[in-house]
Amino acid sequence: MGRHFRPARVAQATKELMAANLVHDTPRWYKAVNMIPPAEILTRPYPVQHTTPNPHARRPRNLFKPTRMVYPEDELRRDFFRDHPWELARPRMILELDGKDARYLDWSKGLRQPGMPLSGECVVQRQLWLMENVPNMTKEAAYDAARREFYELRQLEDIQRRIAVEEARMVGAYFGKSTLQYGMDIEDKEYERWKKWAAVEINKMEVEKQKAYTNVVDVPNNPVIEEELLNDVL
Amino acid sequence: MIIRNIGLRHGRQVIAASASPSCCVRALSTSAAKSATTTPRAPTNVPSFFTTPEQRARQEAIKAEIDKVPDNFKEFRSIQKKTVKMGGETHPRHLPDEMLKYPPHDATLEMLMAAQAHMGHNTSLWNPANQRYIYGVREGIHIIALETIAAHLRRAAKVVEEVAYHGGLILFVGTRKGQTPIVVRAAELAGGCHLFQQWTPGTITNRDQILAQGKLRMVDELDRDVPGFDDHIQDCRPVIPDLVVCLNPLENYPMLHECGLANVPTIGIIDTNADPTWVTYQIPANDDSLRAMALIGAVLGRAGQRGQERRYADAEEGIISWETPSEVRRFVQNTLAAKAQEKKDQARESLEPDGGREMIESDADIKKAIKELTEEEGL
Repeated sequence: MGRHFRPARVAQATKELMAANLVHDTPRWYKAVNMIPPAEILTRPYPVQHTTPNPHARRPRNLFKPTRMVYPEDELRRDFFRDHPWELARPRMILELDGKDARYLDWSKGLRQPGMPLSGECVVQRQLWLMENVPNMTKEAAYDAARREFYELRQLEDIQRRIAVEEARMVGAYFGKSTLQYGMDIEDKEYERWKKWAAVEINKMEVEKQKAYTNVVDVPNNPVIEEELLNDVL
Repeated sequence: MIIRNIGLRHGRQVIAASASPSCCVRALSTSAAKSATTTPRAPTNVPSFFTTPEQRARQEAIKAEIDKVPDNFKEFRSIQKKTVKMGGETHPRHLPDEMLKYPPHDATLEMLMAAQAHMGHNTSLWNPANQRYIYGVREGIHIIALETIAAHLRRAAKVVEEVAYHGGLILFVGTRKGQTPIVVRAAELAGGCHLFQQWTPGTITNRDQILAQGKLRMVDELDRDVPGFDDHIQDCRPVIPDLVVCLNPLENYPMLHECGLANVPTIGIIDTNADPTWVTYQIPANDDSLRAMALIGAVLGRAGQRGQERRYADAEEGIISWETPSEVRRFVQNTLAAKAQEKKDQARESLEPDGGREMIESDADIKKAIKELTEEEGL
């Protein structure tokens, strides 16, 4: 399918048809489409540059390709999640409220923000706020400060979880298997399977051993064989 | 896994009735086999000498249970009111129905972003013709510029409003899964038509065959039915839309091609992998997000509604923004001519000079002619 020009030329085509008396009624859309011409298409303007292009490039390539969007938080995110890879395993909520979500957050107040669960993103934003708003603050110092706050809050969550389990057990709740117990069950199952396999293999080996002795023929008290042997000799 | 005894926070008897063993078995079993105990059915008015004492007792028990329902419901509601504030505070993040229930007249940049309208496809799947709409690349996908979306959406909304004002028929098309309520609501607001199933190829170019069963109405400036045109409705060609709004042009190429052939302007949602030349008015946006489609559908529907309201307001003042089609004029002319001929014949029979062909030149003439026709036919 190549370029299509009919949809863009709908008004002109109708004008020509009416001028040639091939269409008698002015279509009901005619005035509207003439009043509001379609937007420009197919041209490629110079795209938004998110990073300053290389001034020394003698023959810059891909001038009209959209550029990659870069933010200062990207580096901070990379550093944080490189140091805390298991934070990536935590579920994230990415649904936006009304688009003004960022305006409800105030990173001067700390890591916990309304409507946002505690995550690595909180650390990154807090670090950025500290870097931009606290005088003489380096990236590393801000990272350490934000990180420490984060560890405190995560530890608090862990303690809350532990106490909640204890409280639940106190009022009669019981829990399923722990991860260790689950792992042990899997190991036991595998061990039983291996035991069966081992028994079969042992059996096979015994049978092989027995085979080595089954074809041995005892010569005395066997007159037929004695006669044959004598015949061979003779 | 924690197992707790959940305190009954609901009304007892109301829930007990539905949680009775027979009902549970019925509801949960997938087999068609009947349960051991039969469910209690509503008591029928069977004369007493046909019912056994057990049946009568059962009917009375059912009736007693039903009589207790209002009191139980009242108790249930009071317990609900008392317990609603217990536990954690919940704040609804996003109600998927809100665009359908409360359609906005305009979409701000924040609303478009929250609706994920800016998320294009993977950079390797793009159509370079859409480069002008793209703001940048992020996480391997193209990001459509929000200002571009808003500007194109407003232009399309203006077109929808003006076409509706001039009495045009707008068709909203959305054939993807989940677009049905969006398209139906937009058409409802704009007083147009909707399509949520596959477009039958030939619906415009072969409409005499495909749309032969469709019903047509003759309406006046306030969209009231006009009697006396049944003959014309039976004979005339099926109508085609004056504007087509398509939420997924990539899946509707035959329809858009037919619109191009028939000179019908189209509005389409152009994602980064779509072809902008397929439609007359492009709205660059993410066509894979139902939330974005709901927002855009709502805005266009509201625009159509504004156009219709303006049209009715002007019609009540006497300003009619559209003209009668020439074939309707011709029909009225021919009918009047036939009537005049009848009159002439009658006059010739009764030796009276009369007759004359009335020329239909304006809408006022048509109105007069309709009045004459209806009076004559005694309608």
